[in-house]
Amino acid sequence: MIVIIDYGMGNLFSIQSALHYLGAQSIISSDPHRINNADKLILPGVGSFYKAMSNLKATNLDEVVKEPVIKKNTPILGICLGMQLLCSSSTEDGFSYGLGLIDCPVERFSENKFVNLKIPHVGFDTVTITKKNKLFDGLDSRADFYFTHSYRMAYTDQLYVTGTCSHGEQFIAAFAKEHICGTQFHPEKSQTNGLVLLKNFIEKF
Amino acid sequence: MAKKRLIFTLLYNDGGFMLSRNFRLQRAGDIEWLKSNYNFKNIAFTIDELIILDVSRNERNLERFCDHIKVIAEECFIPIAVGGGITSYEQTKAIMNYGADKLVVNTTLFRAPDFVKELISTYGSQCIIASIDVKRQNDQTEIYIDNGSTKIEVAFDEYIDRITNLGIGEIYLNSMDRDGTGHGYLFDFLGQLKSTVKVPIIIAGGAGNWHHLLEGLQHDLVDAAATANLFNFIGQGFPNARKQLLESGIDLARWETANIPDLKKSH
Repeated sequence: MIVIIDYGMGNLFSIQSALHYLGAQSIISSDPHRINNADKLILPGVGSFYKAMSNLKATNLDEVVKEPVIKKNTPILGICLGMQLLCSSSTEDGFSYGLGLIDCPVERFSENKFVNLKIPHVGFDTVTITKKNKLFDGLDSRADFYFTHSYRMAYTDQLYVTGTCSHGEQFIAAFAKEHICGTQFHPEKSQTNGLVLLKNFIEKF
Repeated sequence: MAKKRLIFTLLYNDGGFMLSRNFRLQRAGDIEWLKSNYNFKNIAFTIDELIILDVSRNERNLERFCDHIKVIAEECFIPIAVGGGITSYEQTKAIMNYGADKLVVNTTLFRAPDFVKELISTYGSQCIIASIDVKRQNDQTEIYIDNGSTKIEVAFDEYIDRITNLGIGEIYLNSMDRDGTGHGYLFDFLGQLKSTVKVPIIIAGGAGNWHHLLEGLQHDLVDAAATANLFNFIGQGFPNARKQLLESGIDLARWETANIPDLKKSH
């Protein structure tokens, strides 16, 4: 059973619809027992990092989510803000620590480089797959996905970067650190490209 | 740089999906018709974004509308924007819970700008589309609200300033003159947009064939071309239009559609 972690933020319905379409069973839950026994976890999220971490901490969900990922190697996919929450920290709405499952700070797109840069970065954009990973099996080395975000992973060990995108600067669009992976884009909103990626997560992790 | 977009707009009214011509509505069919006869999912896999508007002229039924959004969103893997008569948080919460990613506001922009401002601070700018219904009269651009029935006495450029200052994320410009005619988009009022307008512009009203969509997407100021006409792109019309647009060099997102039967496992 795949558990879509419910902490009060994010478009959970869309993710569950996509999983259902692919024939995978999932539940939307914040129950520690279910999260601990999940085959796979999906951490969704739309909104502010600070608010999301506060929500997770208020119910001790931060520790609940980390435990099976660290102790049982339960695969986890973070989507959009969910990807950022897997990181070590963010400066959105003031500095706050993340789950720290990957060592990386999250920062706002730097505005000073290009005058005409539109922030947030919204819409379909091309992801260049920089490192072969089973999450991208069956997709071209350049594939289009839907983004909506103002913050991004600032830098991390290149070893874990699997896809990049460009918005005034090159940024990390996807990472995979063994069973811990994240996409800055929304696979559940990216037509068949996203469905293929979710199918890979369901079947190959 | 994000890509240009092709948008389909579904007009919902009291349990049915509508054709609109110069804002006069005609019922095309219900949700079953849309799914089975019309084969909407075929269109859903060839567009970049979906807009669903409750254009009911009588009292709106939110619960029933949400049920319809849910059924559509279940097999639609793109961003979905929903609007029509939004005046309260209860509505927006319900709409967002059923798969909507963005909200479309029109009359509320004029009547309750402070509420729109609150929506922007709750959901973020990128979540709010300002929809404006316009009519050309003696070289002037007039703005209408209340489903095109009430003219407001605000100059077009002033209104654009006003709403962009609120912090809305996109502007959906719908020509009432061209609505449902299939005669092509009207671009006249785009010339009145100042260079300070940085938000994406969606053009709507009048697309009757893929050439019209091309004209729209080739326009420097246009980020997305929308059509609400259920019958101008029937059958393979939309898939073919997308193909033609890509071949004409429009920078639209690309994805496979041949693999859909392999992906769909639910029944």
